[in-house]
Amino acid sequence: MTPPKEDVEPREIAEFRREVRAWMEAHKPPDPGFKLPQSFLEVESERQFDFLRNWQRKVYEAGYLGLDWPAEYGGRGDALKRQRVVSQELTRAGAPFLVNVIGLQWAGPTILVYGTDAQKKRMLQPILSAEEIWCQGFSEPGSGSDLASAQARAEKQPDGSYRVTGHKVWTTLAHHAKWMILLARTDPNAGKYEGLSFFLFPMDVPGVTVQPLIKMTGEGGFNQVIFDSAPMPADALLGKEGQGWQVALTTLLYERGAAEGSGGGQASASGEGIRRVVSVARRAARENGSAAADPVFRDRMAQLWIEEEALRLSAMRMRIPALTADRPHALQLMNKLVFSEYYQRLTDLACEMLGPDGALWLGEPSAPDRAEWPRAYMNSFGMTIGGGTSEILRNILGERVLGLPKTR
Amino acid sequence: MRQIPIDFGFREEHDLLRKEARRFLGERCPMSEVRRLADDPLGHDPTLWKEIGGLGWLGVALPEAYGGAGLGSVALCLLLDEMGRRLVPSPFLASLLASFAIDAGGSESQKALWLPEIASGTRIATLALTEPSGGFEPDSVRATASPCEGGFVLRGQKTHVQDARNAGLVVAPFREPSGQVSIFAIELPSPGVVIEAEVGVDPTRRSARVAFEGTRVGASARLEAPGAAALEHAHVRGFAALAAEMVGAADATLELTRQYAIDRKQFGHPIGFFQAVKHPIVDVMVGVELARNHALGAAAAIDHADPCKAESASRMAKAMASDVFSLAVRKGVQLHGGYGFTIDCDVHHYFKRALWSRATLGDAPHHRHRLAAMLVDRDVLASGAP
Ligand SMILES: Cc1cc2nc3c(=O)[nH]c(=O)nc-3n(C[C@H](O)[C@H](O)[C@H](O)COP(=O)(O)OP(=O)(O)OC[C@H]3O[C@@H](n4cnc5c(N)ncnc54)[C@H](O)[C@@H]3O)c2cc1C
Repeated sequence: MTPPKEDVEPREIAEFRREVRAWMEAHKPPDPGFKLPQSFLEVESERQFDFLRNWQRKVYEAGYLGLDWPAEYGGRGDALKRQRVVSQELTRAGAPFLVNVIGLQWAGPTILVYGTDAQKKRMLQPILSAEEIWCQGFSEPGSGSDLASAQARAEKQPDGSYRVTGHKVWTTLAHHAKWMILLARTDPNAGKYEGLSFFLFPMDVPGVTVQPLIKMTGEGGFNQVIFDSAPMPADALLGKEGQGWQVALTTLLYERGAAEGSGGGQASASGEGIRRVVSVARRAARENGSAAADPVFRDRMAQLWIEEEALRLSAMRMRIPALTADRPHALQLMNKLVFSEYYQRLTDLACEMLGPDGALWLGEPSAPDRAEWPRAYMNSFGMTIGGGTSEILRNILGERVLGLPKTR
Repeated sequence: MRQIPIDFGFREEHDLLRKEARRFLGERCPMSEVRRLADDPLGHDPTLWKEIGGLGWLGVALPEAYGGAGLGSVALCLLLDEMGRRLVPSPFLASLLASFAIDAGGSESQKALWLPEIASGTRIATLALTEPSGGFEPDSVRATASPCEGGFVLRGQKTHVQDARNAGLVVAPFREPSGQVSIFAIELPSPGVVIEAEVGVDPTRRSARVAFEGTRVGASARLEAPGAAALEHAHVRGFAALAAEMVGAADATLELTRQYAIDRKQFGHPIGFFQAVKHPIVDVMVGVELARNHALGAAAAIDHADPCKAESASRMAKAMASDVFSLAVRKGVQLHGGYGFTIDCDVHHYFKRALWSRATLGDAPHHRHRLAAMLVDRDVLASGAP
């Protein structure tokens, strides 16, 4: 048997973790005194945005973002596992999230795969520093789950530049974004997949209208974006013309947590969720004591603890090829599905345990945790719908991992 | 607090064992063998048992000093996953559980006496835990051990004892007049030990009622270490072991169902085309993989983490494996249609194994009950989550 290890991590990682933890404690910003969004999906006002952007800049300047990106593009050419440490410590410290998630985790990694050297030099560093915020223009009113049916047109001009006409919807952060990763049709006569191209679109050109949409919580955070012959230069194209679907699939892998390569971001399951729910249970008054004494709630909390721990173990196991040889990539591909559904049950349970207090809303001074739980429960649907719905993910798992016939 | 190492303590040699097990069982224990042994009076194949003993599988996680291979619990987890897939009818799990108890509670000489024999398969052993009250955790032991000239007199009933009729050694906890629980190892056959076969739902798992009717044993039959703690340790290893086996069996059920969903056509399509068929199969797959995470996590925790972490991890593993194996067989029968409801379809063997396994060593509600106490009352996460 291997001798029991003193610690679970190699010493240099443990030291780095201590360093990051100390830095977080010293630099984590105090509560700003106004309502903060629960995730990057709900950023509304300028002051929320400024607060979050300043925080990301501070983390970057401390040297804790882009650790695994090449130094020539603003990163540090270091190991991904050190970036993971930062992500875990951000969550652990209860620090604000990094606002440029779409840049850090989806656009950036896609550009690293498909970008020209010039594109990487231009785009990557301001993603890390939060100087330039990114949004994602994939979904359209008529093309949601069936994303490849997108109709927005990018028409090539005689000088090689493009003009975009079309309608994107549910565009998170478009109101703060400098850039958009845009999926648009360059060849309407080609097949559904072959006619698409992928662009790095500058949001500040004429012909772009951003209109906010309001969520069920009353919060904003996403928008519709209307393009009326909006110009973009030839070098906005990422990859080749007609290669857009392939590039978009790469983005989706990162978005769903199936591929890892982010400049930095939140760790999903951390042990924090269930701890917080136990604290809710202790405070939730029920007929015969607190919810923490109720056998039904105790059973459900134990179940969520099991799920949370299963996710944490997934993150470890997916890095050991021999332990995933029978179904390579299954753990990666199911990550978003499992996490979002677990999180939905977790927040639902917190609301239910709180009883009538769990139905108090923002603005009510006696609402537990400032009505965080009903808000989180509603916002959890952003995760089970956005980035590929749970149903679509089940199709993908059935088809790609299990080889079942395709649903069309 | 020591946590699970991020690499699970996994080593290449563990994988070699898994591959070898898959190959060997594929040849030696096909479904036709399982069917044959299900109707066999003995319930297992002595030749196969000898071969398994020769391969050293029983001692994979036992110390080298006592005839084991010292490969640790992760290796055992991978091995049991493979054995579960094949529903191997054998006294393997029974012997394993008994060896855990002796390993945890025995003195040097007690271990030297029994472990090498168990590890080589020359002595089939079993662990008798459950009592007619239904309890099986250390606090519910009612059977008694009264001191007498030169030893003890044992009295009480144990139920659902695996492979008792084939065993040459039964290990069981008894309560002494002081109230303390001690573990005894009793060689079989022995006067005053009455064994009556039970008719179980799963013919690949044989069990019996074992009555100790004033059985006299020598003082050396009592394992040296305090029984409750040793038993808890054996339990934790047992939960993890059974969970690993169940994950393998659930995965095999999934594989049967997946293949059927591709082969069987209705309405002009393979039935796996329909989402009412496809999505439940995916849910089973997701469950199986998460349950496998827990089985591996529990094994790694047993070898490397604190006892408290090992306990929570192994209870999680058994709870999740119980739920997932149940889901797999439920969907397995349903999605095979009328054929799935027949004795000809292999799924029913897995179905019956699932009924047996989930009820053995604590079902999911039992373990969640204990986990909730750790989480809410003992607040184990507060003392240093990762
Ligand atoms: C909070 C939030 C933020 C978002 N941010 C962005 C963003 O920044 N950029 C962007 O491009 N998009 C974004 N989206 C859009 C998101 O990707 C889409 O909502 C999603 O892909 C679903 O598309 P849809 O809304 O058109 O639903 P539909 O595709 O119309 O689906 C409706 C229902 O039908 C089900 N369904 C559809 N097809 C199938 C099928 N084949 N099999 C089984 N069930 C099916 C779906 O699962 C769903 O339950 C965001 C969405 C949310 C909720």
